[in-house]
Amino acid sequence: MGLMEEERVLLPERQYRLVKALAGMGGRAEASRLAEAVGRKQSDIMRDLAELESKNLVKVLRVKTWHVCLSPDGRRYLKEGLPEERLLKIVGVRREFPSVKELAKACGLSRNEFAAAFGRLRKYGAVKVVSGKVIYSGDGVEKLLSDIRRTRELLGNISECIHVRELPEWVAELKRRGMVEVTESRVVEVEATETLRELLEAGRVSEAPLITRITSEVIVSGKWRGAILKEFDLSIEVPVKYPSRKHPYVEFLNHVREVVESMGFVEAKGPHVETALWNFDVLFVPQYHPARRESDVYFVAGETVGVAPSDVLERTREVHERVWKYRWDPREALKLVLRTHTTPVSMRTIYSRKEGEYRVYSLDRVFRPDTPDPTHLMEFHQLEGIIVGKHVTFKHLLGFFKEFAKRLGLGEVRFRPAYFPFTEPSVEGYIKHPKLGWIEVFPGGMFRPEVLYAVGLKGHNVAAWGIGIDRIAMMVLNMNDIRNLYTNDVGIIRSTPLPKEVMR
Amino acid sequence: MPIVEVSFTDLQRLARKNISSEELLKALELMKGEVEEVSGDSIVFEASHDRPDLFSAEGLGRALRYLLGVEEPPSAPPVSGDMTELRIVNPPRYRPYAYISIVKGVELDDEAIRQLFQLQEKLHATYCRDRALVSIGLYDLDKVKPPIIYTSVSDGRYVPLGYSEEMSLKEILEKTEKGVKYAHLVKEGEYPLLTDSEGQVLSFPPILNAEWNKVTPETKNIIIDVTGTEPHLMMRVLNVMTYAVLERGYGKALIMRAKVVGGAPDNPYPTTPHLEGKLFSVHVEDAESLLGLRVSAEDIPVLLKRMGYAVTSITSDGVRVWVPPYRVDVHGVVDIIEDLAISYGYNELPTETLPPTHFSGRSSIEHLTRIIRDIMVGLGFDEVVNFMLIDPDILKLVTDEPFVTVANPKMKTYSALRNCMLASILIAGKVNSEKMGEVEVFEVGDYVIPKQHDAESVRGMAFLLMGDKYTLTDGLVTAKSVALTLGLEYRFEPYEGKPYIRGRAAKVFLNDVEVGRVGEVHPEVLVELRLTKPVVAGEFNLTKILREIIERK
Repeated sequence: MGLMEEERVLLPERQYRLVKALAGMGGRAEASRLAEAVGRKQSDIMRDLAELESKNLVKVLRVKTWHVCLSPDGRRYLKEGLPEERLLKIVGVRREFPSVKELAKACGLSRNEFAAAFGRLRKYGAVKVVSGKVIYSGDGVEKLLSDIRRTRELLGNISECIHVRELPEWVAELKRRGMVEVTESRVVEVEATETLRELLEAGRVSEAPLITRITSEVIVSGKWRGAILKEFDLSIEVPVKYPSRKHPYVEFLNHVREVVESMGFVEAKGPHVETALWNFDVLFVPQYHPARRESDVYFVAGETVGVAPSDVLERTREVHERVWKYRWDPREALKLVLRTHTTPVSMRTIYSRKEGEYRVYSLDRVFRPDTPDPTHLMEFHQLEGIIVGKHVTFKHLLGFFKEFAKRLGLGEVRFRPAYFPFTEPSVEGYIKHPKLGWIEVFPGGMFRPEVLYAVGLKGHNVAAWGIGIDRIAMMVLNMNDIRNLYTNDVGIIRSTPLPKEVMR
Repeated sequence: MPIVEVSFTDLQRLARKNISSEELLKALELMKGEVEEVSGDSIVFEASHDRPDLFSAEGLGRALRYLLGVEEPPSAPPVSGDMTELRIVNPPRYRPYAYISIVKGVELDDEAIRQLFQLQEKLHATYCRDRALVSIGLYDLDKVKPPIIYTSVSDGRYVPLGYSEEMSLKEILEKTEKGVKYAHLVKEGEYPLLTDSEGQVLSFPPILNAEWNKVTPETKNIIIDVTGTEPHLMMRVLNVMTYAVLERGYGKALIMRAKVVGGAPDNPYPTTPHLEGKLFSVHVEDAESLLGLRVSAEDIPVLLKRMGYAVTSITSDGVRVWVPPYRVDVHGVVDIIEDLAISYGYNELPTETLPPTHFSGRSSIEHLTRIIRDIMVGLGFDEVVNFMLIDPDILKLVTDEPFVTVANPKMKTYSALRNCMLASILIAGKVNSEKMGEVEVFEVGDYVIPKQHDAESVRGMAFLLMGDKYTLTDGLVTAKSVALTLGLEYRFEPYEGKPYIRGRAAKVFLNDVEVGRVGEVHPEVLVELRLTKPVVAGEFNLTKILREIIERK
């Protein structure tokens, strides 16, 4: 970043303190000392230094240095004396030793120390070896002593460790003699650039405010121009916020509506409270059939008697008495029940529309006596549909199931013979559940001629199905408890994710 | 659907073939049976309600013989030439009909007897409507002296089945388990009774048989009786039972018929059992127009014989078949065509998806529902769902309007149909009260208003705002927002009535039509519902908005 003459340099608080500290240290300092000066660790300020360097305010240098430390021997010599010093003392007192060996024995130095120390004494001429005997000569002793003093001084200067940029010869010598250990290292040094020096001198470096929240005041006042906008740390977990939700089950039901409509069906509605006539009798269910018992149907309490079109009543009576051969009771047919399926909606539709080519569906609630538990409810949804036409056959029903399963993402469909009082042939379609294996989900069939006769449809076939959609909903919504489909608990509703079947 | 238990060994004996369990499971699928459990020699399956002939091993064994080609279905019943009599003398007026059937030449053992009684029980439980319509009895023919007499008596004495002492009919009704259970089916002073020609009591139907003439492993010839109120149903049940007993002759037993003497003038069967069966013609075209599959005239007889139909003649375009009397599920050609399809294999049938040929569409009320839900979620409400079945006490707290009650509820909590959405939304408020500081929820659903001859289903929407910060104003804001979004004019008028506080509730008019109410729920109601936070709630009649405003515009 180039600096214009008039420009001021705004730095975040820490960077500002760093450049100030650097100036205070004469424009060049080790990063560790700078970090100390701003009360942080060196690793904390490296990013700041990099930014300052990118602004051409400092140079960050990585410098090679040496640590010179006393070796264990060096430390000992400093305390006990150098080997040559100790050897000189012994020879100086005894003056003569019968052999080098005797001397080595008497001096108490290690073999190596002795060899080196003896070598130095001979080199300076302090001892001579004459026909095997060691004889103190006194020559060169002064020189040797001054060398010893100097060595001790150097060791004393090191004390424990010193830090040097360059390696002097004497360090090399001490190292050779095993009195010091030298290791190489690198330090980070920071040096103020010429630009920084000039800017500081001109008083054009100042500390910028840090803004964490941008307010309209910040925008309007222009404060943002002279400020640092704090960066966000994306690794910090943010809190959850669930949106107000449409109920996942209602959403699923509407998805099903769209799927069925995409296959050419029109939606129909019918009453929840039905006469037994539409719920059972027109469907060729004899009045003594077990499905009509109190354990299987909710009857409406009270004296209300339903009404029904007289032609339907008459044809129903006729067909029951002709085929089933029992006394059909109209009072039984006009009892009010909570519909046990949505098939009465199909029956009413055929009765009002009669002949023609049409497809109608309904998706609403039905009722059957039960006590709620994870797999049972007394109230649930049924998806009902009819395909009416002159040339509609069983194969179109099977085809519908396959296509419907495909569009809902339910996979392959298998068929098994089934029994329903109002269809012939009847079928049950099975799909593969990830945990339960093959489960029955698609009951249907071709309406019996007796049924079509009761509602007055001539010369047409009707393929019909009545699917308990809750079971499929549980699969798609990944629920194990049917009661959760009908939940009024906002916690459950909000935390139920949209299934992929609904999103595609 | 009846749960039937059979023995694999017994089934092999009846089928006269060593069948594998895989073969059996496959066959059961074709007969609409669903296997529940297989353990050792026992197989438990759920039989299809329409096939009472498969409620025991006898019928299942017979069906297996035809399906696996052990033998071809016969085209007439095995009847013996001689006949006996059934005398009906002054029968009880409330159970006037009786029929019998005799099967000669059976070989029984414990398993056979167990199966026949299982069949009797399953028939009683289903077709006979727990003996109310038909009651079945089996006796050892050789212990009794025909002809059999069906009559009514004010009292009588005999040793009932399973007891060692003689009892009067009244004692039987009071002291025996079956007597107590079925006493409601008989009338005092007019008890039904079956005796033999010497006056020995065979049975006190539909209560209890006698001990002396019971069927044992030594029994060779069996009498079956049915008594009841529906003669045709009785005959169907008798035929199923007769054909099952016949199986215990393993091909050698014969049916002996009886002439019905006396009794009701409308008795449709002068000879019992009535073994005529039914004759049908099945044409290639009939099958094709129902199934969408053209089965050749050569294949039809093969496929139908497997399913137990006797083919009596073959023509170029189809067959004529005899349906045996025990196939009470066959009413017409469609029933035979179904068996044809089953025999062909449901998963081998062609399938075809009809492309959409018409405009499809959503019902207008569902369309409006979708719009209302969008608005409410946009206003920040969460959508909830409640049951239409509800506790009547909650309805009474919320409204004085009539509602539909269920005559045979399982739980009081679900014994009425809601007649408004408000009651449901208060329940939702209660459910969420503890977990959430403030609750803003809505529900769109159906409720039911009782009428003179039926009950009308209405689509409604209710919303609830619960928490210290809410007042009526928040409810009015919601109502106004809905109105303006729908582009309708709104107006509020004071409302007085349940469940709101007087002076803190309003009627809502959209385009001058009253379509709903909004108000602060009365603390008394809140306390009754054990709600501790203030509630502002409202309800709209969507059906009314659709019919009287949107569709009128």
